[in-house]
Amino acid sequence: MLRWLATAAIVALLALDLFLPSTSLGRRGTEAAARADIDGAVGAIGETLPDIALPDLEGDLVRLSDLRGHRVLLIFERSVDW
Amino acid sequence: MAYRVLCGLFGAALLAVGLLFFLQFFAYQEPGSEPAIPTGPVGHYFVAFTGCALVGWAGGLLGAARHPGAGRTVGTVTAFALVLSAVYRMVVWLIGDYHVFLGSLPRVEAALFLLLALAFVWLRPPHPGKEAA
Repeated sequence: MLRWLATAAIVALLALDLFLPSTSLGRRGTEAAARADIDGAVGAIGETLPDIALPDLEGDLVRLSDLRGHRVLLIFERSVDW
Repeated sequence: MAYRVLCGLFGAALLAVGLLFFLQFFAYQEPGSEPAIPTGPVGHYFVAFTGCALVGWAGGLLGAARHPGAGRTVGTVTAFALVLSAVYRMVVWLIGDYHVFLGSLPRVEAALFLLLALAFVWLRPPHPGKEAA
């Protein structure tokens, strides 16, 4: 009996694994593609960026337009390196 | 016989990977070395621990290969560990950070582990009491 229960659970997981890409949850697996550069999403090189706003280290919101006239370097990184 | 072969082969594979992980920790300590496993000092700490655990697991499987009747429980816990390994790999496949690095490999591994778990469930020898009955 336990053997059949274990088999049912394993087969169910196997089915989930095989059909994962076609489920709504599985489509998140294409996150890598979503992260890839998308032409025109934030403007091309040489074009003006949209007026984005991001929190600084103190939590205050800084708008890109606040920095007009200054050179701005945006760096995206993960801060944890194990 | 099939259970003995399964335990023997899987045990030997785990032993090899376990020793590799254990030795990788020491290789990483060499100044200027390029880590084979792309992780840092904390990651290698856990890689070494994983290696030790795999060597212990392999010992149990190799023992079951020699004495399958006495090693029934090893098959059960191995199937359970394989299912757990498959479950987290399926979650890993959903997470973009891993997907960039590993692609669809975690899903393939999950399927392989689940099939192996099925083999351990069905090839495990019957309980000695039931066999006699």
